[in-house]
Formats: sequence, C-alpha cells, structure tokens
Amino acid sequence: MEKQGFNPFAMAQAQFDNIADELGLDAATKDLLRNPMREYHFNIPIRMDDGTVKVFRGFRVQHNDARGPGKGGIRFHPQETIDTVRALSMWMTWKCAVVDIPLGGSKGGVVCDPHHLSMREQEQICRVWVRQLAKNVGPISDVPAPDVMTSAQHMLWMLDEFEAIHGSKLPGFITGKPVGMGGSLGRTEATGYGVIFTVREALKSLGIRPEDTTASVQGFGNVAQYAIRLYEQLGGKVKCVSCWDQEDQASYSFKKDDGIEFDKLLEITDRFGGIDKGKAKELGYEILGADAWLEQDVDILIPAALENQINAGNVDKIHRNVKIVAEGANGPTTPDADKVLEERKIFVIPDFLANAGGVTCSYFEQVQCNMNYFWEKDEVLGKLDLKMTSAFNSVMELSLKRKLFMRDAAYHIAIGRVAQACHDRGWV
Amino acid sequence: MSDGAQSPDNLLWYLQERAKELGCLYRIEEVLNQPDSDLEDVCKIVIEAIPPGWQYPDVCVAKIEVGDDVYQSENFRETEWVLSSHIEVQDKVVGIISVYYTKEMPKADIGPYLNEEKKLLGTIADRVGHFIMYNNMKQVFQDYEDARDVLTTHQEKEWRVALNLLKQTDKTLYVNICRRMLNHLCWSGIEGSDDLLKSASSISTDQAERLPTEDNRPHQKSPLAFSDKLCEDIFAIADKHIWDEQILGFVRKWIQEDRLSFLTKVLSQNLPMTEAADAVRRYIHLTSDEVDLPRNTKRGIQIALIRRMLSDQMSYINVANDFIEIRDFQEILDKLIYPPDSHGRLGGKAAGLFLAKQVIKRGDDSFPELQDIKVPKTWYIASDGLLDFLQYNNLSEVVEQKYKDINQVRVEYPHIVQMFKNCRFPPEIVQGLSVALDDFKDQPLIVRSSSLLEDRAGSAFSGKYKSLFIANRGTKQERLETLLDAIAEVYASIFGPDPIEYRAERGLLDFIEEMGIIIQEVVGTQIGNYFIPSYAGVAFSRNEFRWSPRIKREDGLLRLVPGLGTRAVDRLGDDYPILIAPGQTNLRVNVTLEEMVRYSPKQVDVINLKNNTFETVTIDILLRSAGDELPGIEKMVSIYDGHLMRKPMGFNIDFEKDDLVVTFDGLISDNKFVKQIQGMLKLLEKELKTPVDIEFASDGRDLYILQCRPQSSTDTGAPANIPKNIPENRILFTANRYISNGKTPDITHVVYVDPQKYDEIEDRQQLLAVGRAVGKLNKVLPKRKFILMGPGRWGSRGDIKLGVNVTYSEINNTAVLIEVARQKGNYVPDLSFGTHFFQDLVEAEIRYLPLYPDDEGILFNEDFLLNSENILSEVAPECADLADVIRLIDVSKSTGGNILRVLMNAELEQAIGILDKPLVDQKSPLPAKDSEEIKSNGNYWAWRLRMAEYIARHLDPNRFGVKGFYVIGSTKNATAGPASDIDLLIHFSGTDEQREDMMTWLEGWSLSLDEMNYLETGYRTGGLLDIHIVTDEDIEKKSSYAVKIGAVTDAARPLPMKTAIEGN
Repeated sequence: MEKQGFNPFAMAQAQFDNIADELGLDAATKDLLRNPMREYHFNIPIRMDDGTVKVFRGFRVQHNDARGPGKGGIRFHPQETIDTVRALSMWMTWKCAVVDIPLGGSKGGVVCDPHHLSMREQEQICRVWVRQLAKNVGPISDVPAPDVMTSAQHMLWMLDEFEAIHGSKLPGFITGKPVGMGGSLGRTEATGYGVIFTVREALKSLGIRPEDTTASVQGFGNVAQYAIRLYEQLGGKVKCVSCWDQEDQASYSFKKDDGIEFDKLLEITDRFGGIDKGKAKELGYEILGADAWLEQDVDILIPAALENQINAGNVDKIHRNVKIVAEGANGPTTPDADKVLEERKIFVIPDFLANAGGVTCSYFEQVQCNMNYFWEKDEVLGKLDLKMTSAFNSVMELSLKRKLFMRDAAYHIAIGRVAQACHDRGWV
Repeated sequence: MSDGAQSPDNLLWYLQERAKELGCLYRIEEVLNQPDSDLEDVCKIVIEAIPPGWQYPDVCVAKIEVGDDVYQSENFRETEWVLSSHIEVQDKVVGIISVYYTKEMPKADIGPYLNEEKKLLGTIADRVGHFIMYNNMKQVFQDYEDARDVLTTHQEKEWRVALNLLKQTDKTLYVNICRRMLNHLCWSGIEGSDDLLKSASSISTDQAERLPTEDNRPHQKSPLAFSDKLCEDIFAIADKHIWDEQILGFVRKWIQEDRLSFLTKVLSQNLPMTEAADAVRRYIHLTSDEVDLPRNTKRGIQIALIRRMLSDQMSYINVANDFIEIRDFQEILDKLIYPPDSHGRLGGKAAGLFLAKQVIKRGDDSFPELQDIKVPKTWYIASDGLLDFLQYNNLSEVVEQKYKDINQVRVEYPHIVQMFKNCRFPPEIVQGLSVALDDFKDQPLIVRSSSLLEDRAGSAFSGKYKSLFIANRGTKQERLETLLDAIAEVYASIFGPDPIEYRAERGLLDFIEEMGIIIQEVVGTQIGNYFIPSYAGVAFSRNEFRWSPRIKREDGLLRLVPGLGTRAVDRLGDDYPILIAPGQTNLRVNVTLEEMVRYSPKQVDVINLKNNTFETVTIDILLRSAGDELPGIEKMVSIYDGHLMRKPMGFNIDFEKDDLVVTFDGLISDNKFVKQIQGMLKLLEKELKTPVDIEFASDGRDLYILQCRPQSSTDTGAPANIPKNIPENRILFTANRYISNGKTPDITHVVYVDPQKYDEIEDRQQLLAVGRAVGKLNKVLPKRKFILMGPGRWGSRGDIKLGVNVTYSEINNTAVLIEVARQKGNYVPDLSFGTHFFQDLVEAEIRYLPLYPDDEGILFNEDFLLNSENILSEVAPECADLADVIRLIDVSKSTGGNILRVLMNAELEQAIGILDKPLVDQKSPLPAKDSEEIKSNGNYWAWRLRMAEYIARHLDPNRFGVKGFYVIGSTKNATAGPASDIDLLIHFSGTDEQREDMMTWLEGWSLSLDEMNYLETGYRTGGLLDIHIVTDEDIEKKSSYAVKIGAVTDAARPLPMKTAIEGN
C-alpha cells in the first residue's frame, strides 16, 4: 500500500517494537519477528455460474511457526489487504504463545465479497485456495480456521479438497468443523468459560472469594452467556447485563440489584443475545442506557460485546468499587481508557488472554483430529481450565515480578516465548 | 317490513322470515341445478318447498300451471287469499305459479302477504322459467341431433329436415331464412325468383324498377307476407338450381348468424348484467360443439364483452382479446353476484387476475412448468353493488364525504365504518352470497376490493382499500353475517381518509367510485387452530433492488414469507421476507450465517379459526407446536447449529429441539417453484406488454396466483422522468450504472465525506470518529431530507479505510445512500451495493445509488461539494475537528433557496441530482393548503401546527409576560406522528404569578387538544402540549432550548401572538 493512511500492519509492528525494546531483543530477533516468515500471494481463477472466468486474489501469511504449526483463520472480504492479513497473523502468533499452546501464527484470505457470489462459486474459491496451497499448509504445518464471512461449510469444502489431493483422511488440517465431522465438543462454551477461568484466578490472587463478588456484563451473546453461567456456578452474582436492541437500534442495560435470573432472562432473549425490553420490565428489570453497565457498583466488569466500548468518554464513570475488568471481547478498551484503568489500579485481564479459550479449543479440535479420538465435553472443558489457569498464572507472576500492567505482562510473555523458540532453534 | 324491524322482537321475527325464505330458495336451486331433473320433478319440489318459506306454512298451499299441466299441494284448495306470478320464457307467458292461504291471516303488505314474499315468488317463477327455456332448447337440440343421425344415409335431404325442424320450433327464424334464400335467389338472377318476390310483396315490378333517386318521396313500404306456401316455393326453386350441400351451408350459416344477432344487440346496447349473462349462456348453449362463429364476429363480441364486464381501457382490451373467449365469461358469470339492472364491472383487481389466469392457461409451450399453476376459487360482486348498497340503505349522501376537509374525514371514518356495518344488504346480494358460501364450504376467505379506479389511476391505488380475512367457520347464518360484515367494511374503506387524500392528490375525487368485491378462498392448510398457506409472497418481473451488480433488472425479485403473504406485501421494518432474484437464485442477499439468521422471517400472519381473527404469531412457537403438520416445511427451513446451516435431509427435523431458520433453501434449490414464478413473470410481462407484479401462495403442494397487476408499485418506486437540458451548474451529479427507480422528496442537506480526505486519515480512531459523526448528523438532520455521500463502501467493518464505518442505526434517516467510486490509479474500487444493511434499506425504502464520477459523460459537481459553506461545526460542534473530511451543506443556503432533487430511472439507466426550486413553490394542481398537508405522510403535523398557531393567536403576551412563542420539534419539522406531542418554546419574562397563570391556561389547551387527538387517532398522551420555557438569561447564554431560537438548522419557528410585542 503506497498510499498514506491507516495501516494495520504498521500499527502492529509499532506495538511489537515497543515491547521488543522493553524486552531488550537483539536486532536480528526483532527483524525476524517484525515481518512474516512466509507469504503466499496467488491467483484463484474461478469459472463463474454465467460461464465467464473471474480471477480472485488469495493470501496466506505465516508469521511465525517456531513454536508449532501455524494457526489462523481464512477471511473472505472485499477490502482484504495484505497488510491486514499480516497484522492479524502476527496477532495470532502472540495469542497462541500467551496461552502456551504449541502453535504459531498465520492468517489468510481472499479478496472477494460473498454477497456477490453464489454458494457454488464460493465452494470453488475454497477448493482452488486449497489446491494452490496444498503443499504449504496441513495438519503439521499450517492449520486454517473460519473467520470473517467464512463458516463451517467453507471449512468442510476446504478439508474435502485437501484430503482429495493427499489421498487420505486428514481432519486435523482445519478447525471449526461441525461436531461429528471432526469438530470438538465444548467449542460453544470455550470462550465464555475461558474468561471466567481467568477471572477466578484473578480473584484468587486478590484474595477475594467469588461468592462475595458481583459483576456487570456488556453483551448477552454467546461469550457473555457462558461466562455468566460459569460465574454464577462459582457463586458470583451478576447485577447488570447490557445488549443491543435491534428494533431500537440502540443498546440498553438491564439491571437487577439482587442479581439477574439467568435462565429466565435467556427465555426472553433472541438468537443474537437481544433481550426483550417489555418482558424484562415485567420480570422486574430496570432498563437503563447503553453505558449504565459500567457505572454499576460491582467488583467485576466483563465487556463481552464489541471493540472500543470502554473509552475516554466513559471510563471515568466506572464505579470506584470495580476491581477487575476481564476483556471478553477483542479490544474493548481504547488506549487512553487503558491508561486510566492502569492509574486506578484496576486489574485488567487483557483480551488476548481472557478470550483465548476459543483458540485453545481449536487447538484441542486439531489434537483430537490428529489422533482421531474425540473427548467428552467434560474432558475438553477440564483441559481448557488447566490451560487457561496456567496461562493466567504465568502472566500474573511476571506482572508481579516486573511490576507490569497485566496487558504488558501478557505481551512480554508471548513475545518472549516466541523469541526464545527462535533462539532455541538457532534461527537467531 | 322496514317499519316493523325496529324493536328487538320484530327484528328477530324479521330475520327468521328472511331465513325461511332463503331456505326455500336453496331447496329450489338445488333441484333446478340437478342435471337430470325434468319439469315434473321440479314443479313437485317447488310445490313442496314453497309453504315452509312463507309466513304461515301450516295454511299455505301452492299450485303451478305450465301449459296444460297442473301441479299442486296435497291439500290444495283455491281461496281468495292468493299471490301469483307468471312464468315467462323468452318474454312469453307459459304458466303461472300461485300461493294460497287456506284461512284468513292477519293483514300484511299485500293482503296477508309480505312484500318479500311477493319478491320471492317472482324469483322462483323466474328460475322455473329459465329452467323451462333450457329444457326446451335441450329438446330442440336433441331432436336436431336425432334427425341428423337418421339422415346421415340421406345426405341430400338434410337441409330439408333442418328447415322442417325450424319451422316447428322457431317460426320467426324459419321465415327469416326463407327471406334470405329468396334474396339470394334474386341476386343470383335465378329464374322464377322474381315472381316469388313479387308475390311476396304488393310492390309492383314497375315501382320496384324505379330508381329511388328519381323521386323525393320515400318508397311506400309493403310488408312481406311469407306464407308457408311461399316458403315451400322458394326452396323448391332453390332445390332445382343449387347443390344440396350449398343449401345446407347457407341454412346453417344463416341460423348461426341469426342466433348471434341477439348477442351483438345485447352488448352494443350495454344492457343490464342479467341480459349480458343470459346472452353468454345462450351462446355457449348454442355453440356447444358446433362450428363456431366467423372470426371477426366473434372478435367483436369478445371485445364487447370484455369492455362490458372487465375493463374499458384499450391496453387491457387489446391483450384480453387474444386470451379471453366468449365462453370464458361463463366462468365469471357463474360466480358473479350483481344487483338487478347492474351495469357494473368486475373492477381492476378481478379483471387483472382473470386475464393473468387466461394468459397462463393459454400460455405458449415454452413455459410447460406453468401448467400446474392454479387460481383459488373466486366469487365477484359487480362494481355497482356498492351504489346499490348505498341506495338500499339511504346512504347516498355519504358520497359527499370525499369533499370534506381531510381531518374531518379522519374523525368521521370510524363512524362510517360502524354505520356501514350496521346496514342491510339488498336481498339479491344476500342470496348470491349465500350461494357463494355454499360453494366455498367452510374454507377461510379473503374479501378484497376491486376498484374501477385501479384501471384509471394505476395499480398503486389498489393498496389503498381494505382486504379482510375471515375464518368462515360456524353455522351458515353466522358465516353469512361475518361475510356481509367484511364486505361492508371493505365498502366503507372507500370513505377512509387515506384513499380520499390520495384521490384528491391526483385529481380523481370527482370520478364516481365504484368498487367491485372479490371473495377468494384462502389457500392453505389447517394447523392446530390456525389456517395458513405454507408460504406466500409477491414477485416482480423487474428487480428494483439489486443487491449485486451481477443481478440484472430482468432477473426479477421475489419476496417470500411463510404463512399469509401480507408480510411480503408490506414493508415491515421489524421483520424480513426472504429476497430472491428468480433469474439468479444463487446470488443471495444474505450470505453469512449471522445475516441469514438475522434477516430471516420471524413472524407469521395466520387466520385463527377458533377466534375468527387475523393474527401474527412467532414462527418458533408455531413450528414447535405443529411444524410437522405444515406441508412442505422441509423445503422452508434450515437447521442451524451455531456453525452451520443445513437443509433438512428427508424427515430429520426435530421441531422441538432444532434451531430452525426460515431460509427457503429447499424450495429454491428444488427449482420447480422458482421456475414457475419466473415463467409466470416472463410470460405475463411478454403478453401484457408491461412489467408485472404478482401475488402468490402455496399450500405446500400447488402454487396459486392471487393477483396480477402492472408493476409500477409505490409512488416513490415509479421511474422518475429525467429532465433534459438542465444547465450544468444546476446538476450535482449524474449516474448511469446500476440505477433503480425512484425520486426523493426535496433534499435540504447533503452530507459529503470527501473521499480524498478520508483516504488520507492515518489514525484508525479518526476513521472510526467519521462514522460516529455521521451517526450524529443522522440524528439531528431532518428525516429523509438529507443524503449521505461517501467513498466506497458504507458500513465497512474491520478494514475501514475504503468506507465509512457506520451501522444501520447511524444512517437510517437518510433519504439516499450514495457510494462514490473514484478511480484510484488504474482501478475503480468495488462498491458494496449497500450489502451491509441491504435488507434494512429495502424495508425502509432508503434509496441506494452508486456514482462513478470518473466515467465518461458523467457529471460530478465536486466544486459545489467542496466549496459550499460547511456548517458541520455549527450543527455538531463536537465534530468540528472532522470538518475537513465531513462536509455538511445546507443546500438552500448555498444555492439561494434551492433544494436538491434526486431522480432515478431504471428503464433509462439514468439518475440525476438537480439543484432546483422547492416543490411547494411550483404550480400545484391542488389548493395550497391541501398540498401542504398532503405533502407530509400522515398529516398529523399539519393539524398540530394549525393548533399551535391558534393558541399563539389567543395568547395575550401582556397578561402572561411572554416575549416570544415558537413551535419546535416534530410539529415544526412535519414529522409528527399520531402520538407526538406539540413542542412549544415560550420566551418568558414575567413574574412567577404570571407564569403559574400561563401554565394553567396552557394546561387547559393541552388537555383539550389531547382529547381531540384521541378522537382522531386513538392515541392518548395525557396532555398534548409540551411546554419549554426559556428566559432572557437562557437566550443570552444560549442554554437549553434557547439555542433553537435563530438556530441555523432546526430553528424554532416563531408564531404571531395576540398583539405583537416590540422587539419580537
């Protein structure tokens, strides 16, 4: 991109540079980690339904595989740029490293808008993408997954093509498959539960019993729902949730001081986590504005909806009793708000640690596929707990030892681990 | 017995009487319609059926005399208390039917008899007369056939047999044919014929030979006298000189022509429906399997019938003539209910559907898939049924309603509905409907309007009147009453405010409104207590909402919903139909799982058979309770597991546990359904020579077409005229790719996100801020009065460099969403076509327009956009730092009073944005006041503004210490809805006492207005005025509402008070 303007990859590099300097990485290591190991750019010619041929651009960026096979999604997006894919592949490297799973970071994509493509054409794109990269991806080298505008269906097409080319069953090639077709149980719960595993550990380190705590949650979708369920099982009380109201095109907070009744609330919630305002009122909920969720007198805030939700405009409204912010969503806190949280000594569990349950479960899916033996849900969630807990503890330890803000500690650990692997392999 | 029908007892008695009469009539109809009943059977049954229908059955006896035959009740005896009616066949009395009371009974209208009984007897006599006529004809025809069979061996004598037969049965025709033969013989110069002619008349040859021009006197007319002898002679000569086959040919032709002469006569004189109906019946009877009419004659009669019964629009007639034959009218007449002396037609909707049905039936062979298309059983009431109804109830003055003030119309409408519902229907109509109900059995029905104005004013009119669903369950009497109730309500909808307003707007008020009624069975299945079609919808042969550049207009558009099609016809806003382009079913609007789920239909419209109501229910609940009873359900839903959307395989749906999403994937990939829809659209568009839209429904097995009309659809959806020769400096932009149809109301503001400046932003937060700023403007700018223009793809997420990151809620008030694709180096970026919120745009009727400023021949007035004054920082000071990226232009301010008008025409693939004078200043066909009121949707604001003005004029500023009186908010912005309050801003500088005084004074107004508003709209708010008080201090500081005074946009509107105050 020669044009000036916002460049996500430049931003990711700048972030890396800061941490690298703090870690005191040598020039070669920095140089190695600043840029992807490998990039594939290729054509995807497709015979369209009307008989014409259209050529799409495909990418796969393997940022770093020192710690294991690359892992990362495949995006179908009309404005896909190589810089976006690069930035996201780097982010995947850190994310896998922070939860200490033996995987590297990759990302891929195709510049296309599925809205203007038929399902058959999309299937062709998936198959040609795999054909072009069959030699360079695979269960022990680089493992794709669903991402923006791709779903389990796309993964199955890709897997089918990959297996056809290699002449064997290789379900570990790709993750995000449906249960029964090589998918893992527990995927639905993984991210939400993962958030609470880290919250539980954070409370432990602060010396607070979960049953003495209250929380407020932004969002009521998949992640938030499972987080609330587990948190309540631990004895905590959720006093407020917020969600998007499709009809009003606005967000509302639903508050009940003696604690929400989760199952009853679920009954009046649509598939997207939208709560029926009228019925909630009947159940005795106070309906408040969009930001009310973070103004509550609670111990824990869990933003589990969108990015940039805690920002300079509302960070000061956070109640003085709040002790923990667990970032269930990606990037819910803006950098300036982050500074305020740090000053106020609020314990932040950074997003790529708190919501790493998802990628950990993908790792489990791959492991199960490779041995062709599938665990019960309990086993998946039990192993998830172990992984998340130990990941949290490492970050916590470093944060205490070095007096680092949790977010910085998490980056230090992640980048440190990857740099170490590169050293150990004798790359740098 | 209208006098007697007033007290409840009398009313009950009256209704019982009517029920008895109807029962009697049904019984008689039943026997008349049995194909093998003979006259004797019929008369016996009639004799039996009559007494129970009379007021005093015990003493009632009846007698029928036909020719020499007499039929009578068992205990028959003649008395002085008699009621009689003649039985007529072809205007000749052939018999008499009489009813006697054997004892003296209390006096009523005619002796002891009721007027209704007299009428009933007349009807019975009529029906018997018809029966006799048909029977005779059948007999004649049979004789003829028999004769022919016998004579096949004596070919040469056939014409003679025919003549003899004729001589016995139809003397007039016989003579007529003899005369024509004589003429023929004379013209052919055949020897002896002249003599015969002479003997037939008293005209001497001398006279006959004199040329008429030689004399100014008219010829003396001598009646031709055709004796049997003469006739014999004529044919004796003919026999000598002409071949037998030829004679037979002539005789046949003349008989045929004679039989048809009645048809042309009837039709050309535009006689009542009864006679037209008789004519068609006779025609069909006569031509049942003989050689048909000469082509031209037939064509003429067809046209006459089409004009008489269906439509007098040339465009319709031209098409209909190729598809509707005379015998097809039988189908309508069998199911047509009309008042006596009816001169009505079927109305636009019925005519449209009938024609579509015929086109599909006779459609060419290239659409074999259309053979299975069905039309639901339909009955009609002729268009003048309404006038008859009004006259019968002495309601004719209600027609004047349309000339009243629209607000008064609105207030009075609910009363009119009640009044209509309490009216009685003329007995002919009731009888007809009763027969119709027997035909429908207990199938649920829809009662729809079929207005004559649809023909004239275009199909957009059809949506203005009511359509009502009825469950049609219960006893016959209950069903009949519900049906009458529904028809009355549909009739009343003519006098509703919306259609009257619409007609006023188009100068159609003076046209006498006649409305036909269509009663159609609802297609579907009973599921639990509900009755629904499995799926239904509307289809357009032209796609005006293309969500991908790969879709062509000709690919059409399908809006498909589960259950009743009402949800596909209307734009709902909170629910979504499935959209499909029949020509490109693979290109779907919603492709990601989230979109498929979010934009899937969630509600179903149903008929509740138990409560006899039309209801909307949640599809989840319906499917969970009875999903497996719905035919075709496996083709309507997909099973969603959070990660994958699967079409059901076989019968593996678990209705209780599975998460089901309506996708119609099975139906679409099944192909037959889409092919049928596409075939219909293509065929109808081709034959009707105009793009069409159709309504359809399916019970899960068959596809039914319910309506067909030209696709011009809504006011805003019609193609706009693109003016030529507009000076370039008045053009903001032109476009010629992917254009849809439509035009915008006057645009006052343009929000322009400068593509170049946007591209230069480096900071992601800054890019996001642009989206938020647009969202803010969306909230403060007047709804649908501004347009959004920006680079690339509106609604981008993730990588937001090439398009402003907005959600639907941040653009939902714009009138048009414009994406500008500037050339970058050597490529032009793809546009989104609104895909991020495409269905929301469709449902809200927000227009989408892509601009390619760098294309050849395209005008793009960048100078205006970049150099007009940017008022962003005034309207949204908090966004001032984005002023170099976002330009907010007040069109009026920058052009000296002009507005922007966007005109789009898909047929021409052209769109243009013109800086023009506001519409209200231009010549309007309506009085100024009306146009002002009609311009807004709903009118609620106009009344509010008038009231505000009124209050202001009555407010004494000295008494209350008031310096200024303003109106703000929805009333001022003309966006007020029925429940909106009136926001008043009062500049107050008096004492506390004065303030209290004023508030009390205003409170009175507030409550009164609320009551008035309640009466008009049914909304009660507890006080309609919302008073905002500002003081001098506020104004100085520009705090709170004071900013509105003299503001740049959305300024408060000052209203004059009782006496003007200095400095105001």
